Amino acid sequence: MKTSVQEIDGKLVATLCGELDTAAAQETEVALQPLLQSRGKDIVIDCTELEYIASSGLRLLLSVLKQAQSVGSHVSLKNVNEVVRDVLDLTGFVSIFIFE
Amino acid sequence: MDSSRKSWLSRLGIVVIAAILVETISIVQFRRIHSIMEVEMDTRSHMALLSMQDRIGHMLDMTEGTMRENMLYLKFRLNDPDSIFRAMEYLIDDNTDVVGGGICFVPYYFPEKGRLYEPYAYKDGDTIYVEQIAGEDHDYTQNPFYIKVVESGRPDWSDPYLFETDSTRCLTSYSYPIKDEKGRVIAVCDLNVDVSWMGESLNAHQHFPSSFGMILTKDGRLVAGPPPSRASASMVEQAMELLRDEEESTSSSEMSVKTIRMKRDPYWQIAQVFKKDEVFADMRRMGLQQLLFILLGLAILFFMVNRFARSEKKLRDASERQARINGELEVARKIQREMLPESFPDGIYGLLEPAREVGGDLFDFYRRDGKLFFCIGDVSGKGVPSAMLMSVIHSLFRMVSQRIESPSGILKILNEQLCQGNDTNMFVTFFVGTIDYYTGRLRYANAGHDKPFLLSEGVSLLPAKSNLPLGVFPETLFEEQSLQLSPGCSLFLYTDGLTEAKHSGKQLFGRSRVQARLQEALSSGLDARQTVVSVFDEVRGFMGDAAQRDDLTMLLVQYNPSELVREHIDLKNHQEELSRLSDFLKGFCARVSLEQKLGLSLRLAAEEAVVNAISYAYPEGKEGLVSVYADSDRREVRFTIVDSGVPFDPTAVVPGDTRLDAQERPIGGLGILLTRKIMDSVSYSRKEGKNVLTLTKNIV
Repeated sequence: MKTSVQEIDGKLVATLCGELDTAAAQETEVALQPLLQSRGKDIVIDCTELEYIASSGLRLLLSVLKQAQSVGSHVSLKNVNEVVRDVLDLTGFVSIFIFE
Repeated sequence: MDSSRKSWLSRLGIVVIAAILVETISIVQFRRIHSIMEVEMDTRSHMALLSMQDRIGHMLDMTEGTMRENMLYLKFRLNDPDSIFRAMEYLIDDNTDVVGGGICFVPYYFPEKGRLYEPYAYKDGDTIYVEQIAGEDHDYTQNPFYIKVVESGRPDWSDPYLFETDSTRCLTSYSYPIKDEKGRVIAVCDLNVDVSWMGESLNAHQHFPSSFGMILTKDGRLVAGPPPSRASASMVEQAMELLRDEEESTSSSEMSVKTIRMKRDPYWQIAQVFKKDEVFADMRRMGLQQLLFILLGLAILFFMVNRFARSEKKLRDASERQARINGELEVARKIQREMLPESFPDGIYGLLEPAREVGGDLFDFYRRDGKLFFCIGDVSGKGVPSAMLMSVIHSLFRMVSQRIESPSGILKILNEQLCQGNDTNMFVTFFVGTIDYYTGRLRYANAGHDKPFLLSEGVSLLPAKSNLPLGVFPETLFEEQSLQLSPGCSLFLYTDGLTEAKHSGKQLFGRSRVQARLQEALSSGLDARQTVVSVFDEVRGFMGDAAQRDDLTMLLVQYNPSELVREHIDLKNHQEELSRLSDFLKGFCARVSLEQKLGLSLRLAAEEAVVNAISYAYPEGKEGLVSVYADSDRREVRFTIVDSGVPFDPTAVVPGDTRLDAQERPIGGLGILLTRKIMDSVSYSRKEGKNVLTLTKNIV
């Protein structure tokens, strides 16, 4: 699992690559720390190469979303594949994220 | 107006039309008979009149003949006035019709006899008396007949008159002029003929009480008529009045008169009179009777038509009802068919052939939690009542076996349910079994059903206890038995409709034929479907034309674990172990050849459940094991997660609300939610101090 965060055009863009399962959740949580200091910047999470997500991964996304909403910024998910989309569907996450 | 009244009226209408037709026909016939009778009456009375005319004519001829024949002899006597008596005697005696006769000589013909001289002879019984009857009190020269004959010089018949001394007798006189050599009339000879008989004769043989005959003079005076007992004077007068018209046949409203007139002197008119109401009285009576008969007949006809229509309506109603019942039975049959498993996976095949539209047999099977649940049953009796109970049992079986795995437990509950309010005392033989696909363990319990055949090395009966059928006693205990099946083993279940099938010779198909057939199928390596069909064909061939008397059901289930993938991993309760879990699950999904998306979701479900166990099964700091079993027969995937931690049932956790927005959502509780959403079933049990969580998912 590789995770990177960059600032592009005033937005924080996090790229998730690989399988975000429970084993990978801890390191990903660390890697996503910059997102928690977004300071009003909108966040884009690029899921193009995200192959799998478990509930621990969803928890990370939810933490990011809650934090961002508390400072008035938006979080959008980009290029979510079908498998991940299904999981978001099952858990109702589809309704709380913005999709690009 | 309801329809029955309507049809009643239409039937009445038909009968009324029939009545009018029949009445018209009978009136036409009546008219025809009437006119035939009239013609007949005419002919008959004409004949009678002719005969009368003949008789009268004969009498007149005879009288005239007598006169002529005696005239010569009489003339010889003219010289001697007294001898004339003798001549008269002869003359009268000569003709039976003549009752008397005299000769009136012109005045002073015999000067010695004075002005008037009339020697007269008459009969009184057999004796003939003679006397001279002329005198001042009997001056024949004043008699118009005398005058007429003298003046005309021709004989003449007088009009009839009553006998002087006997008013019941009627006479007529033939007056004949006796002339001298110079042709001068010197005397008139009268012969008095009794014509009383004419009236009697005419009226002696009348057909009707009031019909009568009569004879009139040419100027319409009565010569002879009916006795007063036959016709009143007014009737006679009325008839005479009619006869003035000189018609051969006349009639008034009351009477009809037929007449002929004699073609010779005295040109009398002979008439026959009928009272109309009398002539046709019989016929009217007959017509009336006929009318009554016809009305009676029509009443009977109406009654019959009505009854026929009613019974026909009953028949129609019955056949409509039958058609409706048949239609409903067809629907019931469809429903019942649809309740049975429609498609059969490899290794399972069932067949149910009801004796009637619907039947009391059932079979069922389905998979749950890596086990095949199957059953076969036979409700006592046939037809609709059995079918209804069968449906109840079927539903109960589905419901109960969802919660209870043990075959004996399933039977126990079915039995209790059936015994409640079983007033009809119907019972059900039933066999329930489960086969664990992963272990090959067969568990079964029997409720009075025929023992299934076990097909392994050979064909044998499954050693099943009989027990009582369902619905007999609520307390019945059903012993549960088990048997380890080796791969490839089959169970052949059937109802007694198979073994008790009869051919026309009343011989039963029997268990040995079934066993022999199964043995053959086993030896030829037939699959489940082929085996069942071959048994069915055999029993059909055996029955021939004989009717199927009972529902016939067969079910074959095979234990075929050749496709099994079974893997296992033991994990310590460390987060670090999770990557091993991922690898294990990835490897398993690959070996089961799961399609990628399905594989990922199954992996997610298993991972969430295992993470849950690793995280929460053991208290902080305590080491423990979490074992994960992954099994699949390529129809189903089953994960079994076992730990020895504190009792914890994750299925009892209320799943998070997926409709909440981000801020309200709790961070945890998502894992078990995903597991439950992805898998078909998640079940928890606590066995031997261990938490056992079983996840299954159908993958076909």
